Amino acid sequence: MISNKHTTLLFLILPILIVLLFMLNIWYGSVSISWLDAWDTLLLNDNVSNSSKIIIIQYRLPQAITALSVGIGLSIAGLLLQTTFTNPLAGPSVLGISAGASLGVALVVLLGGIGGVKLVGNSVLFGDMAIVLASFTGALVVLTIIVFVSRKVGNAVTVLIIGIMIGYLVSAVVGTLQFFSSSEDLHAFILWGLGSFSKTTITQSVSIFVITIAISLVTILFIKPLNAFLLGSQYAVSSGFNVKLMQSVFILISGFLIALGTAFTGPIAFIGLAVPHIARTIFRTSNHAVLLPAVILIGAALTLGCNLVSKLPGYDASLPINAVTSMVGAPIVIWVIIKGRSMSNA
Amino acid sequence: MHKTDNILLKIHNLTTGYSLSRSKKVALHQNVNSEVGKGEFIALLGPNGAGKSTLLKTLLGIIPSLDGNIYYNGDNLHEMSKKEIATLVAVVLTDKIEDRYLTSYDIVGTGRYPYGSFIGKLTDVDKEKISNAFKLVDAEELITKVFYSLSDGEKQKVLLARAIAQDTPLIFLDEPTAFIDSPGKVIIMNLINDLVLVHNKTILLTTHDTELALEYATKLWLLGKENYFEEGAPKTMVEAGMINKLFIRKGIIFNVKSKRFEMG
Repeated sequence: MISNKHTTLLFLILPILIVLLFMLNIWYGSVSISWLDAWDTLLLNDNVSNSSKIIIIQYRLPQAITALSVGIGLSIAGLLLQTTFTNPLAGPSVLGISAGASLGVALVVLLGGIGGVKLVGNSVLFGDMAIVLASFTGALVVLTIIVFVSRKVGNAVTVLIIGIMIGYLVSAVVGTLQFFSSSEDLHAFILWGLGSFSKTTITQSVSIFVITIAISLVTILFIKPLNAFLLGSQYAVSSGFNVKLMQSVFILISGFLIALGTAFTGPIAFIGLAVPHIARTIFRTSNHAVLLPAVILIGAALTLGCNLVSKLPGYDASLPINAVTSMVGAPIVIWVIIKGRSMSNA
Repeated sequence: MHKTDNILLKIHNLTTGYSLSRSKKVALHQNVNSEVGKGEFIALLGPNGAGKSTLLKTLLGIIPSLDGNIYYNGDNLHEMSKKEIATLVAVVLTDKIEDRYLTSYDIVGTGRYPYGSFIGKLTDVDKEKISNAFKLVDAEELITKVFYSLSDGEKQKVLLARAIAQDTPLIFLDEPTAFIDSPGKVIIMNLINDLVLVHNKTILLTTHDTELALEYATKLWLLGKENYFEEGAPKTMVEAGMINKLFIRKGIIFNVKSKRFEMG
């Protein structure tokens, strides 16, 4: 256990880190913009060149806000799923919800091509919104199935296994669609699968942010049942909670956050899995009263950091965000698990 | 000791068991009837697989009953919320707690969840109940320790403290002395006995430590295979040879005089 002082200090440092990373995301990019201009644009001052303003308002700001929001959403989702299933490997990809999103997109992008109807490419705006809607619908369909199963079955491990199986099933359908589609459509689909924070408008990014924050606040209401779940489902019942109902609520919240993020950015790997582990290791606690704010802050910081790294090559094409989150996330998970092991053996 | 006007738990024509499918149900015990009064210390004895844990969890509403009714203070278990049940019965189970960061204090704190604020901030009353619970089980030095790092005996003390902090008239324990060394078993049983004698709690526990249970229990529930359920005073049941009948193993008998299992 760490002292309260230590925890308070971390909760002061992390927001500063987030602001710093956020500003770096606004400032750094293929076109160089001065700190002063970046700052003035954010404060809506007029003495900034038009081109800098457009780059920041239309590109960098929505990208940074989306990265931050989706980072928060996926991290909360990962935490809720790991607690619900008392499984450290649970994360956004396990319940097949991201796979459901990818099926939705595959149906629009690939099947559209097979049927001779070009949805993407002809009209950029319609194409993008069609992908967002398809992804969201696909994710929600799988989510509905999972929640239904969870209400029926109750047993967490069974729900988890069924979720993984649905994921395989859906991926198989996506694979079949890929096999029959043209290389052009396939390319568009693969691009979506690599993930990107740069596909949102400023309005969309702010909407994602507001919804994510609203759901985060709702989650705070469930600190008690979440903590009770850590002792296992039977002890959670004995602490006075309706475990089946709570389990469905947690799956619903995390599923919605995953659906929201994936719809606008494509599947983002490792953030949801890694951030709860990082939070537990840094704060040395499993208490959700600390962990929830912790994953929100760490998720925001890590995703902003990853987005910054993806811009490092410096020219127009940035690195695919999934490559960066995986390269950063996987070593972190390995490190955390090894560290946790040596600690428990000591 | 047994006062009929002080019935905390009433079991009426209860059938315990499990469902294999919607239509296929396996009953372990049928038409079980009993009453549990304030201040009783009941030991639930029986061989492995007799259905002791199933009965205990059915009474808690963790496993659904196949038939019959369970009443707490006259209220039907079916119609009670999990929260209401949690203010009447606390439990110590055999489930392993795998979390690596929760402290003993965090664990005992969950015993206060049926009460108080919505988001889980502990009130002064909660804090007092928690520290009293640690005092009662003589485990104050464990308060800040990580639960996962404790020995089995220490873990059992903390879980007992959790049940005490829950401040319920009834405490159910599933094999509280399993995996604990012999002096540890006696310590735990003494603590539980103090809860009955000093703090007026009512205890129902399952155990395989028959000899130890006979020293403390005020009543026995004997549970065997093939729908066998009998209750009574320990002394009467021992002398009637009922313990012997319950644990039929070739070459082993329960010596009524020494109250021990011996090679026959």
